[in-house]
Amino acid sequence: MRIYANELWVIFKMGKMENQPLIATENLVKKFGAFTALNGVSMEIFPGEVHALLGDNGAGKSTLIKTLSGVHPATSGRIIVEGREVQFNSPRDASNTGIGTVYQDLALNALTSVTRNFFLGRELVFGKGAFGLLKMKEMHEIAVAEMSKIGINISDPEQAVGTMSGGQRQTLAIARAIYFGAKVLILDEPTSALGQRQQMEVLKTIRRVQQLGNIAIILITHNEIHARLVADRFTFLSLGEVIGRGLSKDLEGDDIKRLMAGGAEIGDLAKELAI
Amino acid sequence: MNSNVKDRQESDRVAPKGIFSAVFSRPEIGPIGVMLLLFGMLGYFSIPAAEATWNPFAGEGFNALGIRNNLRVISQLGIISLGAGLLIIAGEFDLSIGSMIGFAGACMAMTLRWGFSIVIPYVSFDGGVHIEFLTLLHIDNVSPLGAIMITLCFTLFFGWIQGFIVVKSGLPSFIVTLGGLFFLRGLTEVSLRAFNHRADQAAGSTTVTNIPDIKNIIQLPGYGELEREAAKSLPESDLLAIFQTIPAETVAIISERLTYTYERVASAKTGIMEAKGVKPLERALENAIESGNENMVATIRDKIATFNIDPVTPKSLTDLDIVRSYIDSIPTINQVANFFGGDILEPLFSWLYYPIDWNVNNFGNQFAPGLYSCVMIWVILSFVCYIVLSRTQAGNWIYSTGGNLNAAKANGVPTDKVKVSLFVFSALCATIFAACQVFEVNTSDAAKGNLKELEAIAAAVIGGLVMTGGFGTVVGIIVGTFIFGVAREAFFYIPGIDGSFYRVFLGLVIISSALLNENIRKRIMGNI
Repeated sequence: MRIYANELWVIFKMGKMENQPLIATENLVKKFGAFTALNGVSMEIFPGEVHALLGDNGAGKSTLIKTLSGVHPATSGRIIVEGREVQFNSPRDASNTGIGTVYQDLALNALTSVTRNFFLGRELVFGKGAFGLLKMKEMHEIAVAEMSKIGINISDPEQAVGTMSGGQRQTLAIARAIYFGAKVLILDEPTSALGQRQQMEVLKTIRRVQQLGNIAIILITHNEIHARLVADRFTFLSLGEVIGRGLSKDLEGDDIKRLMAGGAEIGDLAKELAI
Repeated sequence: MNSNVKDRQESDRVAPKGIFSAVFSRPEIGPIGVMLLLFGMLGYFSIPAAEATWNPFAGEGFNALGIRNNLRVISQLGIISLGAGLLIIAGEFDLSIGSMIGFAGACMAMTLRWGFSIVIPYVSFDGGVHIEFLTLLHIDNVSPLGAIMITLCFTLFFGWIQGFIVVKSGLPSFIVTLGGLFFLRGLTEVSLRAFNHRADQAAGSTTVTNIPDIKNIIQLPGYGELEREAAKSLPESDLLAIFQTIPAETVAIISERLTYTYERVASAKTGIMEAKGVKPLERALENAIESGNENMVATIRDKIATFNIDPVTPKSLTDLDIVRSYIDSIPTINQVANFFGGDILEPLFSWLYYPIDWNVNNFGNQFAPGLYSCVMIWVILSFVCYIVLSRTQAGNWIYSTGGNLNAAKANGVPTDKVKVSLFVFSALCATIFAACQVFEVNTSDAAKGNLKELEAIAAAVIGGLVMTGGFGTVVGIIVGTFIFGVAREAFFYIPGIDGSFYRVFLGLVIISSALLNENIRKRIMGNI
């Protein structure tokens, strides 16, 4: 029943949305010396969608998101954000264009409070310059409100981030990226290294961001079940190339497994293991 | 019971804190306890054995002079601990603080004594190849402010360059500043010996003396600028001429005070003489009681009861005394030197002498003239550091630079700038320390500040900082400084104990604080 509703939601959106992707890549190539990490990757990401980027280790997922978030410049090919071609020379450029990346380590300082982390590097201050006094009250309020928007109620914004669960930390990092203007959210394996319940928390958070409607999410994961639960669209990478793509509703379960493994037949593997 | 399991949140597991547990889970609470214990020890053990009192202010530790001297040591250490502490919070070390103090003191003293020159050496071929010096600029009589500014140019530059090397090379700051420690100490000794030798001597001295007592230079109408002591020893006729210029109400105030002082001194003298006279009699009485001679006991008892000494007559007040006291009260013309090396709270300490009658020594004179100025500087600096660290954007950057460098970088915090600025701040603190010493005692020595860097780091660790950074508060640094400064005094007064036991004590405190801090840090990081 739930999946049915989800599909309706996708169809509804597809009909409603303009067909312009929020961010698109065209023939993106990235070479590290003689090694070709990305060999002409094209993909389109639409607002309000969760776009699962799947592939085995070494498929080029990390290189792709690092290129999108401005860590590496592309060797050739184009990145188009809202119809305009962009050049990223630094992560700053990418985040100014509206691409927010939530890395696995989340870029949080565990020793300080939720609020201090939420506004880290972009603190609200009275006056100008680094010695401006922090507007602590206002920052507390914003941090609590933004996090509750995507589903986590924190009782104490002074709580040290180190005392929060992994799921809450993810939510903090995501809420922060959204508040500071991310239109495209890149989540790098957000559910790995989390407990079952926390994984669900993160997926719920992703779903809430999706329902905000204006934000596109690129979700990198190894977990097929998680991808199926939240993703609207899939792209499969293998050895630096796209080997398959499609909408969630069009893909069969076995397709996903097969494509995730880089085209290898899981069935064969099962046979091999059975020996 | 399980019906609401879905609604439960992870955050519900963090129990809300009561006021009691909120206070006692602060990381500073342990150090504050140790600090209070040491205060108690100092107060208790410094009471002379003869005095049967529990009042801690009766002892030498907390009488006016004790407070003055102890606070001086503590606040001097406090100034550099702030610099070292903030740097540790940002995840770096500075081992060059002690050498920086020696260097800054020598630089300031030399500039005050011999002036400042910019000299270019070049090779001359006239009459054999040798090196000549071309003087581009020479300033004689550099003002205190000028000397401090010139010194700051050097020390801040050294601080900056150490920070720059650490940040750009990625080397541990331990190694870089260890280099700085040797480099600066050596440079100080070399330059002192080069400048500071008489023409007839080959080797120079590493001590600069004979700097005028700048903070005590006053402007006396008709005599221009002169040192207070020189003014007081002017010919009597001159002093009496000055007396005529003092306003009548000032004379009244000074003579009231001096009269009180002379009476107080006289009564103290009487007391001392009485004690001196009675003591042999009491000893004789003890002997008599032992020997059982009852006649003798009665006679001596009688003598003690009727023992009387004529009270000492107070010294009579002369106009010269009033003039000298007036000269003491003239404010200095050099506020900069006074700011670093002078005294503060003089009116308060004067009031505590008369009419309060507490700030008084055994001879009836005023005990402490005031507190050393470095106490005020420490208070100001602590306040500024507290605001910066806990209330400003820069403070958040410092915490995140030390707590998680990559996270700080990823969020656009200029971590390199933060670190370099803190190295510069550490150098600034060392320079302030040196300025306080130079203007207070008017000498400087190349060995000044030896081992101070380790004391500063120790104070910071005792105050709850973690060596890996990102953790600690200014209040903690202040408490750590108190513990370090008071421990020596407190142990000094414990009877029958070697004074060096304070080092044993501090060693234990440092290790246990470090263990405790690491434990708290891990608990916050979620590793426990």
